[in-house]
Amino acid sequence: MSDWIAIGAMGLVGVGIPLAMMTVSALLRPSVPEQGKSATYESGEVPTGTARVQFNIQYYMVALLFVVFDIETVLIFPWTVIYRSALEQGASLATVLVPMLLFIGVLVVGLVWAWRNGAVKWVKSPQANRRKTERQDA
Amino acid sequence: MYLQTTTLSETISGLLGLDGVIGDVVGGLVGAFLVANIMLIMTAFAGPWAKRKITAAFGDRIAVNRIGPFGLLTIVTDAVRLLSKELIVPEGVDRPAWDIAPMVIPFSALLGFAVIPMGNGIQLADPETGLAFAFAVASIASLGIVMTGYASNNKFSLIGALRAVAANIAYEIPLVITAASVVIFTGSLRMSEIVAVQAEPLVSVAGITIPTWFAFVNPFAFALFMVANLAEIGRNPFDIPEAPTEIVAGYQTEYSSAYFVLIYLGEFIHIFLGGALAATLFLGGPAGPFLPGFVWFVIKIWAFFLFTQWARSAVPRLRVDQFLDIGWKGMLVLSFANLVLTAIIVGVIA
Repeated sequence: MSDWIAIGAMGLVGVGIPLAMMTVSALLRPSVPEQGKSATYESGEVPTGTARVQFNIQYYMVALLFVVFDIETVLIFPWTVIYRSALEQGASLATVLVPMLLFIGVLVVGLVWAWRNGAVKWVKSPQANRRKTERQDA
Repeated sequence: MYLQTTTLSETISGLLGLDGVIGDVVGGLVGAFLVANIMLIMTAFAGPWAKRKITAAFGDRIAVNRIGPFGLLTIVTDAVRLLSKELIVPEGVDRPAWDIAPMVIPFSALLGFAVIPMGNGIQLADPETGLAFAFAVASIASLGIVMTGYASNNKFSLIGALRAVAANIAYEIPLVITAASVVIFTGSLRMSEIVAVQAEPLVSVAGITIPTWFAFVNPFAFALFMVANLAEIGRNPFDIPEAPTEIVAGYQTEYSSAYFVLIYLGEFIHIFLGGALAATLFLGGPAGPFLPGFVWFVIKIWAFFLFTQWARSAVPRLRVDQFLDIGWKGMLVLSFANLVLTAIIVGVIA
């Protein structure tokens, strides 16, 4: 229990240090509002529109895959912890190792399927492809 | 095997003669403050001074040599300069997310250091799930990066944040799975036990005993872990979330003053956390001959820092699609191969 109290204390310190730095800075720094200063940076141009736009993130399928593998790692960790001591206590490889190999095997099949269906492929947007062909034509 | 070690918070509450919950809380707070300040001091050396010196040395230039011996007082002037700069709040930022994000990034990295054994009894807490905890809290930084990216109302920030997420989901699994292959040897997630197992001798050559550091036992896993680690902390060749020549400064484009300092600080503590995890899992933690444990710990995490700076100066950046290809088609497959092979070899030998 004292471990988790100490970790909680670290959490408090981890919030306290940034807050202290922000406070010190707020006391020190000047404030000189000028026109144009608060425009978002867009390479020196006047910004066009907002940044809250629909954007092709390219890795939606990969993110789904990540959830699958992340849950898998959660299942693998307890197995790695007991693996060696189970073997030392005389459990056979067939009972300790083979089920996990089957489990990983199922996931590998899933990864191969996703790979072959192009889920982990970087898809260029149609506009980018068009621009590329235009450049080649010119 | 269970070793009863004394954590830093217990040592402090013992010294103060406090028992029970009050002792835990006071010991925890004092200990946490100490550990956090150790990391802040290291970051102060690394950020404004060592990084510039190292980069300059790689480019055969001279850097920061004006103020103080070896330019060391640059650290003080830079701290004052950055904290006293005007904070420019851009138009249309999403507050308070924009203000909270710079706190989340250093918070995540500092929290990870709560379970790292630094030698000489400097380990704040030693929970049974230490390793899983360290990986879990180190990932909170991604949340902070997404907050910066979305709240800034800047297109470069948005792209940088999305790239950071892509990096995190592609390389988190290889990182954790490679660590799991170490756990097969140790049979425990407790940090002090992972270090203790590595103290056993591996082979003795001419009177010199080589310990069972997992970098020697399984160098392949060590290499995988270092690559995944570089990607997790976003350093070359995987620095696509910031990529100065492509997207200005990525997710931190719109930040200035203390907010910028905090994001920068968080990144550097994160590099050191990556180094600390690599040292704990693969390099025997604070173990080493002659010098005290804490000195060895500092040497090991600075060696990792030097490694990241070397990569930064010497390796070109990958393209974002190549980056994801390496993560999903290379690292993921290799890390699972490593896990299965380790399990089979341990199973056959044991």
